Amino acid sequence: MKTVIETIDLHKTYTETEVEVKAVNGISLSFQEGEFAAIVGPSGCGKTTLLNLLGGLDGPTSGSVIIDNTDISTLSSRKLIDFRLNNIGFVFQAYNLIPVLTAKENAEFIMNLQNKSKAERETRIAELFKAIGIEGKENIRPSRLSGGQQQRVAVARALASKPKFILADEPTANLDSKATTELLDIMRKLNDEEKITFIFATHDQRVIDRAKRVIYLDDGKVTKDKVK
Amino acid sequence: MKFINFNIAWRNIWRNKLRSYVVISAVTVGLFGGLASTGIMKGMVIDLVESAIHSQVSHIQIHNEKFVANNEVQYVMLNSSQLIDSIVSKPDVIGVSERTMAFGMASTASKGLGVMVIGIEPDNEKTVTNIFEKIKDGNGEYFKSKKRNRIVIGEKLAKKLNAKLKSKIVLTFQDYEGNLSGASFKVEGIFKTQNTTFDEMNVFVKKTDLDKLLLLPNNTSHEIAILLDDEKKTKSTAAIIKHLIPNYLVEDWTEIDPYLNLSYSMTSFMLLIFMSIIMLALGFAIVNTMLMVVLERTKELGMIMAIGMNRFRVFSMIMWETSLLAIVGGAFGILLTVIFTWHFGNVGIDISSVGDGFEAMGYGSVLYPVLDFIDYVEVVILVMFTGLIASIFPTIRALKMKPAEATRS
Repeated sequence: MKTVIETIDLHKTYTETEVEVKAVNGISLSFQEGEFAAIVGPSGCGKTTLLNLLGGLDGPTSGSVIIDNTDISTLSSRKLIDFRLNNIGFVFQAYNLIPVLTAKENAEFIMNLQNKSKAERETRIAELFKAIGIEGKENIRPSRLSGGQQQRVAVARALASKPKFILADEPTANLDSKATTELLDIMRKLNDEEKITFIFATHDQRVIDRAKRVIYLDDGKVTKDKVK
Repeated sequence: MKFINFNIAWRNIWRNKLRSYVVISAVTVGLFGGLASTGIMKGMVIDLVESAIHSQVSHIQIHNEKFVANNEVQYVMLNSSQLIDSIVSKPDVIGVSERTMAFGMASTASKGLGVMVIGIEPDNEKTVTNIFEKIKDGNGEYFKSKKRNRIVIGEKLAKKLNAKLKSKIVLTFQDYEGNLSGASFKVEGIFKTQNTTFDEMNVFVKKTDLDKLLLLPNNTSHEIAILLDDEKKTKSTAAIIKHLIPNYLVEDWTEIDPYLNLSYSMTSFMLLIFMSIIMLALGFAIVNTMLMVVLERTKELGMIMAIGMNRFRVFSMIMWETSLLAIVGGAFGILLTVIFTWHFGNVGIDISSVGDGFEAMGYGSVLYPVLDFIDYVEVVILVMFTGLIASIFPTIRALKMKPAEATRS
């Protein structure tokens, strides 16, 4: 199995407050292609911080994040934006779709940023909408979609550019049971069939139950790393 | 990507319709107010210049330089008929009139006032000035009588001198030899131009009558006035005549009446100043709105930066959004102004009820707003520039966001 992402002695310390907070404290991990992993732990344990470091949304205090032989912690902010655009897919807790764009326009937004041709975009979006079960919703704006449908559009957006892996921060937190199950089924299917790597930060037991690997965090450290 | 930036920006401005309508309306009203006021001002000045050229200064004048400096009658131009012959043959010249002039007193039984007595050849003068058209029905004629010592005076002077048609006015002045001279003239016509000061200060008599009283040598004059078929040819024709008549002072209307020229050239400059101030004020309103927009969309902006939209594209998107507010408002403002200047440029705005002060300054009592294409171009550039400048501050605010924090907010 090919390693898609690796962290080496990763530290993130926040010093803005009076008390120094070690959100990530010496984490060394690696994720292989096709993993379906959940980073879990209590609130404040450092899940989201770790996910942000893995996605290059935040820089580490020390240590390295290596993706495809590139230490992203050494990249300039401009190169990092391009790197994120071409290598990482993001799914956020609150869907974060652009409300003035339709479902299809939201999904192809990243491909537009990548200057992909219209034909390429059309084909890819049609393929993804079919795979995640929201065919027919292409021209509807997010406000007229259910939470589950919006999150599926967000997944389609993350997958559109064929990233090396998807980082999903609490993707089911705003969804009901049915929508959560449906979304996880889709993600798991994509993982099983297309070997797409998913890394979740979550405390949702339903996600943990479906994950193939569960990494437990506490006080910024990995306390347990369990492969099912 | 340019399209999607524009597309998102256009849709974004209609997210909060009321707020956008308010900003767009402010730009529309501000721009219309500024442009319409400038159009009125420009129309007034153009009218002032046109009126001055056609009733007073003409396009080009020729004098003995010493006459201009001293206004003394002995400083004449010799061989004036030959001078006129050489000017008339020039292609752009449509009228030439020679004049004799003397500063003197005009007196009736009740009052006396200082005036400029202008001796003209009526038929030639008609080719240069339109005073003959300024005599209303019932106010007499413009030198139709073949009799000697007839005078045409302005309405305001007539009122001040308590003179009517056929009244006698005694003109006194210094003659060519420095002696006091004068004669009685009968009022043949009373004119009224839009410049009441001009009407009060100038009287017209036949040149033959005045020449005799001034004891001027034959074939002399104090002033030769020239009218051209196109104002734009003034400078080039004046240069030709200067070359042709090097012994006398040849001046175009901008040199004869620098104030008139200043008023004319100031209008375009004033438009720029006026509109810049208005756009500056509107720019602050737009900046304020866009700052609110950026604040409201922190999470969304953070997300698009997180997924890979670079700073230039974020800047471009916000710039489009800010500029569109200015452009849409600007387009409506310009459209309103075009309709306004088209309508009132034809029918005019009658300000005769408050026009006395204007007439004393030479302005007409009916205003015809005028704006040239270049004025609109200047304003369009100003609107675009305002949009661009106004977008900088909100964009900086947006670019300072850290995606990780923004998406969590």
